[in-house]
Amino acid sequence: MKSETRAQAVSTSLAGSAERRTTVEVDPTTLRVIGGALDAIAKEMAQVLYRMAYSSIIRESEDLGAGIFDVSGRELCESDSTPMHIGSIPAYIRGVNRRLAGTYQPGDVILHNHPYHGASHSPDYCVLIPIFWEGEQLGFAGCTGHVLDIGGAFPGLSLDVVDVWAEGKLIDAAKIYSAGVRNDDLFQHILDNVRTPDMNRGDIEAMIACCRLGERRFTELLERFGLETVLSAVEMWMDYSERMLRQEIEKVPDGVYPAPEAWLDDDGKNYGEPLKIALSVEVSGSDITVDLTGSSPQVETAFNVPFEGSVLPTCNFAVRTLFLDEATHQEFIPQNDGAFRAVSAIAPLGTIYNPRFPASNFARFSQINRIPELLGLALAEVMPDRVVAGCSAAVQSLAYSGVLDDGEQYWVYVEVNEGSYGGRCGKDGLDSVDCLMANTRNNPIEELELRQPMLCERYELRDDPPAAGRWRGGIGSIRRWRFLTKTFVGAEGDKRTDVPKGLFGGHDGHSGEIVLNPGRAGEKELPAKFTNASFEAGEVLEILLPCGAGYGDPLERDPHAVLVDVLDELITVAEAGEDYGVAIDPGTLTVDEAATRELRAARHRGGGDG
Amino acid sequence: MKRIGVDVGGTFTDLVFWDDESGRSFTHKTPSTPADPSQAIITGIVELCQLAECDPMSVDMVFHGTTVATNIALEHNGSRVGLITTDGFRDILHIARKKRPYNFSSYQDLPWQSFPLVRRRDRLTVAGRIRADGEVEVPLDEKGARAAIRTLKDAKVDAVAVCFLHAYANPAHERRVGELLAEEFPAAFVSLSSEVAPQYREYERFSTTALNAYIGPKVSRYLGNLAREAAAKKISKEIHLMASAGGVVTLASAAEKPVSLLMSGPVAGLLAGCEIGKASGQRSVITLDVGGTSADVGVAPDGELRMKHLLDTKIGAYDAMVPMAEVDTIGAGGGSIAYVDRGGMFSVGPRSAGADPGPACYGRGGTEPTSTDALVVLGWLRPQNFLGGALDIDADAARAAVEVRVARELETSVEYAATGIFQILSHSMGEAVSLQSVRKGFDPRDFALVPQGGAGPLFGWDVARQLQIPRVVVPRHPGIASAIGLLSTDIRYEFPATVWERSDDPDLDRLEAEFRRLADVALEQLRADGIDEGAVTIARTADCRYEGQGYELRVPVPGGPVSPEWVADTVAAFGDAHERAYSRRFEDVPVQIVNIRVIGVGTVAKHAIPPVAAEGLDPKGALKQTVAAYFPDGESSEPRQHETAVYDRSRLGSGAEIVGPAIIEQFDSTTIVGPGQRASVDQVGHLIIEAVAA
Repeated sequence: MKSETRAQAVSTSLAGSAERRTTVEVDPTTLRVIGGALDAIAKEMAQVLYRMAYSSIIRESEDLGAGIFDVSGRELCESDSTPMHIGSIPAYIRGVNRRLAGTYQPGDVILHNHPYHGASHSPDYCVLIPIFWEGEQLGFAGCTGHVLDIGGAFPGLSLDVVDVWAEGKLIDAAKIYSAGVRNDDLFQHILDNVRTPDMNRGDIEAMIACCRLGERRFTELLERFGLETVLSAVEMWMDYSERMLRQEIEKVPDGVYPAPEAWLDDDGKNYGEPLKIALSVEVSGSDITVDLTGSSPQVETAFNVPFEGSVLPTCNFAVRTLFLDEATHQEFIPQNDGAFRAVSAIAPLGTIYNPRFPASNFARFSQINRIPELLGLALAEVMPDRVVAGCSAAVQSLAYSGVLDDGEQYWVYVEVNEGSYGGRCGKDGLDSVDCLMANTRNNPIEELELRQPMLCERYELRDDPPAAGRWRGGIGSIRRWRFLTKTFVGAEGDKRTDVPKGLFGGHDGHSGEIVLNPGRAGEKELPAKFTNASFEAGEVLEILLPCGAGYGDPLERDPHAVLVDVLDELITVAEAGEDYGVAIDPGTLTVDEAATRELRAARHRGGGDG
Repeated sequence: MKRIGVDVGGTFTDLVFWDDESGRSFTHKTPSTPADPSQAIITGIVELCQLAECDPMSVDMVFHGTTVATNIALEHNGSRVGLITTDGFRDILHIARKKRPYNFSSYQDLPWQSFPLVRRRDRLTVAGRIRADGEVEVPLDEKGARAAIRTLKDAKVDAVAVCFLHAYANPAHERRVGELLAEEFPAAFVSLSSEVAPQYREYERFSTTALNAYIGPKVSRYLGNLAREAAAKKISKEIHLMASAGGVVTLASAAEKPVSLLMSGPVAGLLAGCEIGKASGQRSVITLDVGGTSADVGVAPDGELRMKHLLDTKIGAYDAMVPMAEVDTIGAGGGSIAYVDRGGMFSVGPRSAGADPGPACYGRGGTEPTSTDALVVLGWLRPQNFLGGALDIDADAARAAVEVRVARELETSVEYAATGIFQILSHSMGEAVSLQSVRKGFDPRDFALVPQGGAGPLFGWDVARQLQIPRVVVPRHPGIASAIGLLSTDIRYEFPATVWERSDDPDLDRLEAEFRRLADVALEQLRADGIDEGAVTIARTADCRYEGQGYELRVPVPGGPVSPEWVADTVAAFGDAHERAYSRRFEDVPVQIVNIRVIGVGTVAKHAIPPVAAEGLDPKGALKQTVAAYFPDGESSEPRQHETAVYDRSRLGSGAEIVGPAIIEQFDSTTIVGPGQRASVDQVGHLIIEAVAA
């Protein structure tokens, strides 16, 4: 691989730079109608993909993305399936174009997963189909989806590997169909080099069906409204999304806002050696830059982050969530190239957020999900009513696998565990839910137990009290699996040492834990990351997910909210007194208002001593 | 046979009387009584019978559609529910599927956590574990179960949901807890997940069961009142309720499983559309029921309802894994508010002015322009015709609202802004129709559009034009179509079972036995409802997927013995369905039969819509006046003024022919025939609009 291609791939914003090919007048009504149609296309593409897919990460977790893009990769519309995929396809297209630009024909189907040429990470396959109109290529229908296994050193999940070739089979802009003819040998070769060929074949078929649908729907839109009108409307919608975001960024005073110092536990091999995250935000007019300079140098394991495919989409997500929170901004602001224009990111080459080829960068979620968390904490003083106390952020994933009875293929189950949110201004943190960039679904236990030789012994809120605050932190979950056969397990997680940070007087949250054989012989705490462990039938693995931090002084929490938590057995009567200064009569389970006043007053006086 | 259909809506209770022998029919409207909906029903029936000069006792059947169950769920005012579940799984309802409704939001709420069906303090666990294969891993702790029941009794819950893992595969533990509940706490409304929704996927099954328990006490109280009052007033012999799957069930069965009533109202509208279409010779229909805040869109190819994908069956934020006919609701109605946002984008809805303050033209203090205001500006809705002139309409207020909030912002004329409001709404309705038709493999050109609700016929002509639907069938009484739909339904029950069979290694005997078992249950239920054996049909469906996929598609499967040929036919039927849904089929992949279902239908004699008197082809007698009204110019948003005839619907006889543009007024509805379109009144009094200009 030539170094100049690599250098060329580095950019600081996902926004494309294509020229506007056309600007005809589009009236406000038609504009609105075309906007609705584009959104419907993306949604329908995503639905076909997840309903038809095989991999549980695509079909149950909805770990996928789909949309329509122009020839240069500018995003015209995209499904809002899961944030990690939103805005990742433009980088894939730019990676593919570097090899294939000028060669596209109707009927081509391209497969790509190269993490140094735009892929979000290597298991996120991307399928692209060029869209032609009157003989000219207008753009692509594209989708991404996380397949279960891509070969490489370990099933499902990679950590302690030497480079990108060890993490899995790389597919760099391969035409699996040329002008409508499938390259059967290539297709077979790709499947022959993964542990779950049947699953991957089904997933690729689903991805192709998804793109063909997008191609057809977009062509129908052109037939109905005409090329010039549709493309002009697209430009206007991009400008609209850009304008809406810039309007909000402008309200923040210009300046450089550093996030509190933050740490990653380790790289999954050199345990006990923390890795620094340095993040600062620069606001200048309506532009915002996320600067990761000063963060750890790249590491020798897979615990690095693809810059274009992962860091850039994450920064877009983080900014959009903070400035245009969907719960408080009801306008329909479509996801397109315009939403990227105000946002850029900096991460020096050779660092954990922008590694040099060919370092492996498979395991990146725990690092990238710190970006939205830290962006909020950096701006907490200027946007106190929009930010969230420390969250679970890091995502704990576990890959379980074993050889199927037929001895020919593996079963692989990748579990993306949920987290929880920190307290918020006016609201408690969300309990047991995917956090920030993660937004996938769990798999039904009743389905997992049917497909995999594992038995779930427990799946509920964990027993620890939530982090106290005027608005308390969200509560993480606990999950306990018993293995029914010899099972290989890999784990990817973080944030054991750098727990979710309390905000404005709220308490810190709790980190996650993984315990082998809890409460019996052989009990052992395991790190958040490990590679290729294997467990015997009868062994039990318990996974505890983090609890978010509190927001604001717990002594200001509404005593009745404290009582509700006691009644719901989230905290004890004793904890209500200790953490919140709320006296609850253990007999009647009611708030003793007078005693509470006294307790809180004494606490305020005593607070001066500490 | 004499029949009454009663549709209880938020504001009005609509009633229709139909006598097969005499061919006479009567309609009636009475204000709803939300505190106890049975009051309006009884009052309405008594009044309707007086109108029809008939003894309430001589009414053979009363069919009832209701939004009561839905409203309890949407307004979060159900009963206090206790949950008894498997040890280790107390919080399944709290964690749900762990996915946030919004991606870009840290300040959202999770509805299942903000408004739990069962609070954590009332969720208790009991030891006892069934495995995926139905074998018992840990026996049920009966002592623990009794203790849990007593705790819930002391906590004064009204209802108890019993939800154990894998209970769809082996219901023994749930049934035993049900028996213990009957002993220890007989007053509780009890729902077992293995009875309410015996299918795999624990969160969705638990949610369905908890929802059933949540709405159960209130719904059964209301149905009890209804039965008692009806008996006291000697009304009819039997009251049936419209269920979400498009058939009726007995009052007793509805009271046990109220979760089956969640789509009762919209489904009646779709059935009405089928009946109305059929009377006018159109079997395949698309219905568009436009109300004040929302529009319901349903598609029935060949007059058959389609069932929703089981993962799309939600009510509000709650999953309800019960069969529901495919009817989609979108936030577009007469009260939808138009605005220009901070980014300069022109939008309409989903926010609605509702009934209060209502559209600006109601003069009740509303200043935001609604779609009703826009149609007043265009000249389609005339102040003198609102509910026959019963409502005072301020046309100037409508114009001012559209001008200030939209036209000035966009720097356009008021007429342009009003046209745009109409078109944006009409396109979102078109998008909803296309989602249900084109995008599911049905060509709208093979359908007729049946607009309903007071506002449906204002939009029908344009939605049909957009989607090339050739014909619009406007019913005689669009405002009470749902009540008519109630008169044209069969008694229908659906019983599912999760079986997990594979096409390459099926247990034929087991499948056969399961189908028989379910058919026996269905026959038993229909017999209990008093249906003659001769009027019963039994149909089978199966939820299938390719081995390894995660989501099933529902396909009709053959009756008859389960043989290798039966399996081959099922695989072929699934391949067709998969291809229709995803444009692709696989030949060499085994098919998994996940759930099977038996549908028992007790056919009820249908009424036929009677013809109206022929009054010649010249509609002149019905012409009220000619006005200047604005219409969009094709796809362009530039409005054009047209000389437009206004007709009185009640004076249009069969055979009358109208050339658009035209406005056709009746008491509670207005129909538009667009420029270039033609319309005629057919032999049953339906107005047929030829929507696509030849």
